[in-house]
Amino acid sequence: MERDIGKPLFNLFLLIASASAFVAASALPNIEIPGDLSAAFFPKLLSGLVFILAIPCLIKDLQEWRRAGSEGSKAAAVNPVRGIAQWCFAIVLLVAYIYAFERLGYIASTALFTFFCVMGLALISGAWSTLSAAQKGLSLLFALVFSVVLAGAIFYVFTDLFQIPLPT
Amino acid sequence: MEILDNLALGVSVAFTIENLMYCALGVTIGMLIGVIPGVGHLAAISMLLPLTYYVPATTALVMLAGIYYGAQYGGSTAAILLNLPGTPSSSVVCLDGYPMTKQGRAGVALFMTTIASFVGSFITVIVLAAFAPPLADFAIAFNSADYFSMMLLGLVAAAILVQGNPAKGLAAVVFGLLLGIVGTDVSTGIQRYTFGLTFLYDGLNIVAIAMGIFGVTEVVANVGKVVQVKNDQKITFRSLLPTRRDLKESIFPMLRGTGIGTGIGVLPGTGTSIGSFIAYAVEKKVSKNPEKFGKGAIEGITAPESANNAAAQSAFIPTLTLGIPGDAVMALMLGALLIHGITPGPNVISDNPDLFWGLVISFLIGNVMLLILNIPMVGLWVRLLKIPYPILYPSIILFIVIGVYSINYSDMDIMLVALFGAIGCLFLLLGFEPAPLLLGFILGPMMEENFRRAMLLSRGDLMVFLERPVSATFFAMIAALVVWSIYSAIRKKRVAVAKEF
Repeated sequence: MERDIGKPLFNLFLLIASASAFVAASALPNIEIPGDLSAAFFPKLLSGLVFILAIPCLIKDLQEWRRAGSEGSKAAAVNPVRGIAQWCFAIVLLVAYIYAFERLGYIASTALFTFFCVMGLALISGAWSTLSAAQKGLSLLFALVFSVVLAGAIFYVFTDLFQIPLPT
Repeated sequence: MEILDNLALGVSVAFTIENLMYCALGVTIGMLIGVIPGVGHLAAISMLLPLTYYVPATTALVMLAGIYYGAQYGGSTAAILLNLPGTPSSSVVCLDGYPMTKQGRAGVALFMTTIASFVGSFITVIVLAAFAPPLADFAIAFNSADYFSMMLLGLVAAAILVQGNPAKGLAAVVFGLLLGIVGTDVSTGIQRYTFGLTFLYDGLNIVAIAMGIFGVTEVVANVGKVVQVKNDQKITFRSLLPTRRDLKESIFPMLRGTGIGTGIGVLPGTGTSIGSFIAYAVEKKVSKNPEKFGKGAIEGITAPESANNAAAQSAFIPTLTLGIPGDAVMALMLGALLIHGITPGPNVISDNPDLFWGLVISFLIGNVMLLILNIPMVGLWVRLLKIPYPILYPSIILFIVIGVYSINYSDMDIMLVALFGAIGCLFLLLGFEPAPLLLGFILGPMMEENFRRAMLLSRGDLMVFLERPVSATFFAMIAALVVWSIYSAIRKKRVAVAKEF
């Protein structure tokens, strides 16, 4: 069994977050409406529930983590680093795109995002390394043209046909 | 005679040019999505949710529902031809569908799954039309306490019946409930968890959450995972035709599958996959030749296929009559209703008969469209499998971004999509199901409203939830579910310990 500290850490985070949410709910102003519950009642109830539910999850994950450690398994056959790197690449690229969205304008940010996405995914998946020099040049050109055409086409469709104003 | 009037109303609504067009669009997108592995119907529905702002509620639901049941049809195509299930529920079709392809019977398998899908859907739509209105009439008498306990039952069932750890399912539900209360409290005007950010005063946007946890997560999770497969299957018209024996062997499995799917679909948290797996297991059990299962048995594809399509249709029964979504897709359907200011619940049918009956008729039209679309266009669907993922990924992300931006023209909404995309990835990585989170988010505000109203009417007496027979029944069911869940967890542990020794 693979030893994974992420799960207990996440449950610990849930415990802390729910405790913080409970404290934040307790600090809400208390406006009394006769017969009605306060605005803080439901948030306190729910954050309390998350706290209670996170405890068995944390205990279970800690037990699994310890068991995996005591079994001394070195059978971590699957290397999760590559998978997580791919996820992180995709998320970071998305965040960068959102940051550039209104600053660079729709067409420029979208073309850049698409280009880096296509190239990045080809690199990460290992498909790039299998190509010859000529194929690499062709793929690069394709990615460039595809990115610009896609960005331009979407911009035209949404601004002119659907009348949705996009940042320029 | 009332039902005939209602059906006539449904026909008049469903046969408008706009609704027919959106029905065709929905089922075509559904077929596409179902065929392409790595892009699920949840991602597609959440991607198209912003479109519902621009069309009437009925049209929006016609299209979104079309995507859902269309994907059930399409999912089996890749499963049969390539052993790659397009949707989770079609993974069971791989077991016998792919062996049929290897035996040169791909055409028959595709034809029979289409017929099975049609039979499953068609019969269940009739069940929906027959049983949904009386159920809604019964539920109209519910008061706030009954509603609260019914929603609680729906959430607990969704959390417990979901695959994996029930505690994690419940934690996801409660997390969703917490997200649902972000914004201004309607009774007191107090800002809750807004952290002074004005864009949160109206609460979190359902579209941003759905697109994030389903759209972005699904796309990101498949980065580097989807394998492009070459397919050289040639499907001719002649190869589609089943033998008399094929038809004979399929009739009862289709009917049994439909029955199982219809029953499973109405239960919260089960979805279409469980229905198809149960139908397969039942078929294997009742078969006189169980050894042929897994080797290309026609019953092994027709029973699960009719079951998953029946479940996809019957899931609308609790959603439209009680306002209780059984799974994430149904939660998105309720989200589409909420976007149009329609409060989900038993009043939906009586207050919006055009919506309900229009939807029922559109299901029938959509299924006929799928029957026509599926077979002659098999070649096209198969070619779609060859689209490289590095091109598919940015294209989907671009549509998600533009879709969510078009709602408020605010980049904060896109930021929320990215945030929920990251949360969705984290959920996936840590074994939390994202679907209960969405159910909690949708039902949260309604639950709080009903809870507070019940407390107001009972002057703060919690016993109101146990004194009302309906509410008490729901609480008894919740207790039974929790006890069953604990019992099965202990049993599983005992079995594991026994195996160790």
